[in-house]
Amino acid sequence: MPSFDPGLLLHGQYHDWLVNGFVLSVELAAMALVLGLPLALAIAVMRLAPVRALRATGLAYVEGIRNIPLLAHLLFWYFGAPELLPEPVKAWLYSGNVEVASALVALTLYVAAYMAEDIRSGVRSVSPGQLDAARALGFGYLGAMRLVVLPQAVRATVPALISQALNLWKDTSVATVIGVGEMMYQAARVESASFRSAEAFAFCTTAYLCVSLTITALASWMQRRYPVRPA
Amino acid sequence: MRSRLTAVIGLFLSAFLLAPLAHADQLADIKNKGEIVFGVLGTDEPNSFVDPKTREIVGYEVDISKAIAKKLGVKPVFKQLSVAARIPKLQQGRVDVLAASLTHNKERESQVDFSLTTFVTGQKVLVKTSSGIKDLPQLSGKRVLTVKGGTQEPNIRKAVPGVDVVTFETTQQAFLALQQGKGVGYVNDEASIVNDYAKLGPAKKDYAILSQSISVEPLALGLRKGETALKTQVDGVLRELESSGEAEKLFFKWYGPSTKLQFDKRSFKIDSDKIAG
Repeated sequence: MPSFDPGLLLHGQYHDWLVNGFVLSVELAAMALVLGLPLALAIAVMRLAPVRALRATGLAYVEGIRNIPLLAHLLFWYFGAPELLPEPVKAWLYSGNVEVASALVALTLYVAAYMAEDIRSGVRSVSPGQLDAARALGFGYLGAMRLVVLPQAVRATVPALISQALNLWKDTSVATVIGVGEMMYQAARVESASFRSAEAFAFCTTAYLCVSLTITALASWMQRRYPVRPA
Repeated sequence: MRSRLTAVIGLFLSAFLLAPLAHADQLADIKNKGEIVFGVLGTDEPNSFVDPKTREIVGYEVDISKAIAKKLGVKPVFKQLSVAARIPKLQQGRVDVLAASLTHNKERESQVDFSLTTFVTGQKVLVKTSSGIKDLPQLSGKRVLTVKGGTQEPNIRKAVPGVDVVTFETTQQAFLALQQGKGVGYVNDEASIVNDYAKLGPAKKDYAILSQSISVEPLALGLRKGETALKTQVDGVLRELESSGEAEKLFFKWYGPSTKLQFDKRSFKIDSDKIAG
């Protein structure tokens, strides 16, 4: 086995590929987080809603998504779902970067299911008396949620959400199977072009680890700065 | 995925720690074990693929492998590998010999040893006729699809500067993506492309194989570096297959006029482990 050559990672073509992959991985995770969070909030509110049909829909979403592996989601949203679209929409989609679009849809829906459960747990940690009291003061259900319950629930929820962000960051690596040029994809490309597997995967491992540790540090800082306050 | 990270770290550790422990003579090990493990693709008709009736892996490279095992007096075992995993699996000793549509090129000579060349193919591009693409330079700036970890990606990039390449885990996923319109071209070894083209059935009229090859690919069996005793044996069997006419029969059995590939002549002989360039 040839010796480890860190120079390969610091400059030149392979460096550029890996850095592009890293940037795309970060972008994918960030976009899925930004899109997934409001969706998760909506699902969580549905799961807690006083209307039975809404609760059932929320439950079906969460269980449907969480019980299927991410790999299957990605393959479905890339090879399956777009085929059902009308021809002009499909042609437009396929002329652009359909890999990234499909991965983004799959990751967003996937992470939203997990986050919805964390938000729901957070809301349930707020005493039901709070909601009752707010309703008694004349707030509607949504108003009581938005102004009374959710602000308290957020403190309990944020650490769990950060932990989901951590999972999301690592899950972006699975997108390589549908041809998304993220970090694992670029590492495989460097490997097949140069046989420098150790260097390529050392880069990825370090990059995943650094970002993951940053997210973990953020979580513990949040917990110290904004501890859960008993109502 | 956490497991993925662990797997990667595990892979490093095993690569660094176990590599020096590799056995001195693989041939003796194979004979002691009574079996020889061939790494095959199993997804690349007609070199190695799963027979839909018997559910067994069959093909041109599989028959060659069986002839080698027979000569050594051991049982052949076939293990399916992905294109990208071939060389690492061989280096780690998970398989004894690669019979996996492996291109013999200069870059790989520092990684593995090659047997005599067992097949010569070019790599070509299958396009949708609706794209209006008639020759290679027109692919510049267009999306083409192929498999990860093979020579297809570097070769198309060399042949068509500025081409946009998207790669998948298997050739069949790349082929599916072409049919769905996720790119204008699909790159693969000529024999595989002809086979895939035949699979299209009535839809064939919407596709065309560009006549110009992007490269010439000598395929060979892959062996771990420095296992000269095993290489001598393998090359010996291949020479025998050639001189007895058996190799030619195998070629026509899998590639000949009665197959989907319909090659009517054999343009190479199994006689050298040297490549041009």
